[in-house]
Amino acid sequence: MVEILEESKGKDGRRILKVAKENLIALMANLKDQGFDHLSLITGVDRKDRLEVVYHVHSMKKNEYIVVKTETLDERVPSLTSLYSSANWDEREQYDLMGIIFEGHPNLKRMFLPENWAGHPLRKNYDLQKVQYINMDENGEDYATFDSGDGW
Amino acid sequence: MTEITKSKDFGNGWVELNIGPQHPSTHGVLRLKVKLDGEIIREVEPVIGYLHRNAEKICELDYYCDSLIYFDRMDYVGAMNMEVGYLEAAEKLLGIPPPERVQWIRVIMAELSRIAAHLVWAGAFGLDLGMLTPFFYCFIEREKILRIFTETCGTRQETNYMSIGGVYQDFNDKIVYDIEEFIEQFPKKLGVIFDAYVKNDIFISRNKGIGILEPEVAIDYGVTGPMLRASGIDYDVRKAEPYLVYDKVNFDIPVSYKKDNLARFLVRFEEMRQSIKIIQQAIKKIPDGPYFNPKAKKSLMIRLRGEGETYARTESPKGEFGVYLVGDGGVKPYRVRVRSPSFKNLSILPVLAKDVMIADLVAISGTIDLVFGEVDR
Repeated sequence: MVEILEESKGKDGRRILKVAKENLIALMANLKDQGFDHLSLITGVDRKDRLEVVYHVHSMKKNEYIVVKTETLDERVPSLTSLYSSANWDEREQYDLMGIIFEGHPNLKRMFLPENWAGHPLRKNYDLQKVQYINMDENGEDYATFDSGDGW
Repeated sequence: MTEITKSKDFGNGWVELNIGPQHPSTHGVLRLKVKLDGEIIREVEPVIGYLHRNAEKICELDYYCDSLIYFDRMDYVGAMNMEVGYLEAAEKLLGIPPPERVQWIRVIMAELSRIAAHLVWAGAFGLDLGMLTPFFYCFIEREKILRIFTETCGTRQETNYMSIGGVYQDFNDKIVYDIEEFIEQFPKKLGVIFDAYVKNDIFISRNKGIGILEPEVAIDYGVTGPMLRASGIDYDVRKAEPYLVYDKVNFDIPVSYKKDNLARFLVRFEEMRQSIKIIQQAIKKIPDGPYFNPKAKKSLMIRLRGEGETYARTESPKGEFGVYLVGDGGVKPYRVRVRSPSFKNLSILPVLAKDVMIADLVAISGTIDLVFGEVDR
């Protein structure tokens, strides 16, 4: 049995389970066995002192949603790509915008922004005043730059 | 333009082809890196982000009532459905339920918007396969819906019609008359459009048996909406977790077990007929009453505070549209997260387009129904 740190109910009536990140894979594998075959959404929430990762899992047959939460202090959580294929792009997006490193992801590249973009925009301490410009190199790959003369 | 950017040596005679981002058949700004073995596709890698505006961050910097316009611009062909999706979450978080009349108005507008979105898809999908004529038929019908939208809220596409706890303007007699007139003549016109597609042998042979999507794979990748229903799973959020007044109207979920491109086409056309059925019932049942919740007065709107978290899911034309809101008790949301169905549906493309001919890639990516405002957000 997986140790659940806390169980509560959200404002919308969905069950919220809180686990330590070491137990995340075990809990998700357990849920998948119970019929929760659809990983709907992965969300990173910046709580300033720590990062929270929220998983919305859905069972098509039972028509039930469960919210699984875990926390991390060092930006790292285990990747769920081995269990759900839909985790692949969601984790890449959260890595891109929130800066969460999913350990064990086969292709952890940025989803939307160029690879060398400075910072992760959804973090609370992201500096919105710093303008970055995007340009394209000879190979057709995008890159970001602080030099306004280089970008467009 | 489609062009061979470089022909790297992969050791087995493969050629790398770059399609997009500015290409007529990629429905916006999708870029595909394709590895070709002769005419057979061996690998596809979608590259997205060309329309990325980070709406989630912008919403965090705005009041609850202001975020709505960024949702209009996500799925810009079905804007009403996006508004319904956001308001489902926001009203739950803020504790301001809409009155009964508003719920019926929202259902009517959402279904009209769904028809408009499917008509745009049908027209554009015909263009992908080289059929120009049905495109005009589709857009003539869509224009009638947009005229109803103009009458109700003053704009055509990015409507910004609904607001927290209500709608911007009540239905008057002319709008009701316009809607009744539209739903009366539309099924016949839809039949004409439908025939223009399915009586074309080239259209059938380019879609039948192409792009088979197995239901287990679809669920594993998080595919929802008409794509999932065309794979034989009758999952529709309007039935599975009814929001607004969808539990008070009678309609069916079209399901196909053929799993191919043609099945997805047929499911979308049947959905339009079901939407008409919903509007027919709703326009008769719509009750009298206020068109906004008095708790959400315009002067108090920016002072609304939300605490806790909600996740609301709705059925957009593309699939399950989810909005996850976290509030910290302030006047602005702490975190906004959007589950965009197009984004999930696009992630299946590398699976669907493996080992098919290059010409089928356009047909397959056409049936996914991509809108890039929503994929990139």
